[in-house]
Amino acid sequence: MPERAGRRRRPVSTAAAWTVRLGLFTFCAFPLYWMLVSSLKVSHELLASPPTFWPHEWELRAYRKLFYETNFWRYFENTVVVAAMTTVIVLVAGVIGAYSLTRYAFRGRTLVARLTLLAYMFPPIIMLVPLFLLARELGLTNSRPGLALTYISFSLPYALWILRAFFQSIPIELEQAALIDGANRAQALAYVVMPLALPGIIATAIFTFIVAWNDFLFALVLIGHDELKTLAIGVNEFFHMAVVDWGLIMAAGVMITIPALIFFVAVQRYLIAGWGAGGLKG
Amino acid sequence: MSRRRRQALIGMGLLLPSAALVLVFTLFPVGYNLWLGFYAKHSLRATSTWVGLDNYTQLLSDSDFWRSVWLATEYAVASTALQIVAGVAGALILHQRFFGCDFLRGVALFPYMIPTVIAVFVWRWLVNDLYGVIPYVLGTLPIPMPAAWLTHDTIMWVLIVLSVWTFFPFVLVNVLARLQTIPPELYDAARVDGASVARQFVHVTLPQLRNVLLIVLLLRGIWMFTKFDVPWLLGFGGGAGEAIRTLPVFTYQRSFTYYQAGMGAALSNVMLALLLMVVTIYFIAFPPAEEENDA
Repeated sequence: MPERAGRRRRPVSTAAAWTVRLGLFTFCAFPLYWMLVSSLKVSHELLASPPTFWPHEWELRAYRKLFYETNFWRYFENTVVVAAMTTVIVLVAGVIGAYSLTRYAFRGRTLVARLTLLAYMFPPIIMLVPLFLLARELGLTNSRPGLALTYISFSLPYALWILRAFFQSIPIELEQAALIDGANRAQALAYVVMPLALPGIIATAIFTFIVAWNDFLFALVLIGHDELKTLAIGVNEFFHMAVVDWGLIMAAGVMITIPALIFFVAVQRYLIAGWGAGGLKG
Repeated sequence: MSRRRRQALIGMGLLLPSAALVLVFTLFPVGYNLWLGFYAKHSLRATSTWVGLDNYTQLLSDSDFWRSVWLATEYAVASTALQIVAGVAGALILHQRFFGCDFLRGVALFPYMIPTVIAVFVWRWLVNDLYGVIPYVLGTLPIPMPAAWLTHDTIMWVLIVLSVWTFFPFVLVNVLARLQTIPPELYDAARVDGASVARQFVHVTLPQLRNVLLIVLLLRGIWMFTKFDVPWLLGFGGGAGEAIRTLPVFTYQRSFTYYQAGMGAALSNVMLALLLMVVTIYFIAFPPAEEENDA
């Protein structure tokens, strides 16, 4: 409930409020803290009982092993390439498609908009077998574009849905003014609509990127060659080692989380704007 | 050609790339799946044999299938309910202004940003039988605790808690966005009438949140029921995986461990049918408000 200005709070309720806030903070942050600390502990301390909450000794052993003895950077590169391909194509197709849905009148427009919402709710697991068989038929297994194509098909419907909401909120009069001033449609889109819809476009880009960055199922099914694996399935292989090296796994977790967090902090503002408009799948 | 008609053609042309992609990769698979469900087919070989409804009749008498439906339901109901409770509580906390509230807002969203694989690994480490910090901390409490957390009897609880941790920020953000649009006058009026904080929550906040909670409930319920990666990654590699073999995991195993593509397709169709049923019931029970603005 909103705290109203000028209302006096009792010390007991202040203490209670801070306890609750601290609880939320611990619940959200402790697992991440533990991942970071575990990746930096020396081996015998990592397996010590009772566990140490603040390590006595630090070392970068796990990171050295991750960088030099595993295919981590290859997995990283594959993930970035696939996620980037997905994001670019979804944005181009999504902006054009959403523009069409909001600015041109044609039959079936509302139906298409509703179908995109339906597709947004649609769980990918339902398409597992047919997409796998289709990809095999088209020679798209063990291929980064093939993997990107499946992510595009999952992301595009809700990209259309979010972008449509943003485009609808831009007054059509602004564009009409530009058209009267002699701009063509493409210019109106590029110089009037897109700048105003920028928060929505950025939010869409983030959501799309996250879908590709996080996916496990389709990478598992479509990619078999080690040199084409993405982070999700590549790092999962670390559990197949003769002795499970928890330090290594936590180091990989930190390395995968850091870019996502930096990215997230940088664009948080847009993210929340987009969340309000359509939400994020997952 | 009239201007109107030309405009319509351009509009459809611009939509074509998106429509083609969605058709090929969403609608076509659903149709193909319906057809495949009537066949016995090896996942890696080209041949297939028509078996009619055999896949479905086999499922009806397969106790593993019924068990997976029950486990998926249990998982979806428990984790969705707890996500909503945690999400609403978190949103109420973060709706206040206090020192560091922007920071805490960021932190509260982190779990959602972490790739699922990493979230599961971290929790497997947190509850590790020998070295886990959570069993250690709980062990210091004077209440009886299970000896190990990733066993047949307990792994479902770990799955649920881990899923709540990962996905409750989705609820939090949606509820927080809605809370910020509730007019403060409503609270002023309630306070003038002498309503306590609890009564304000029940009579002012909850009715305002009704719509957003209903849609969040639907989406999260569907996505939890069909979640594959979390139970798979948590249960895989241990003997206890069977205790969380939900319907999506069962489907994956049929398709890619036993290579029964036809059976896998039939299972996907069952999931689809169940979902359509739930969505239909949902929309009959809670008809959507008139808000479509397609002018």
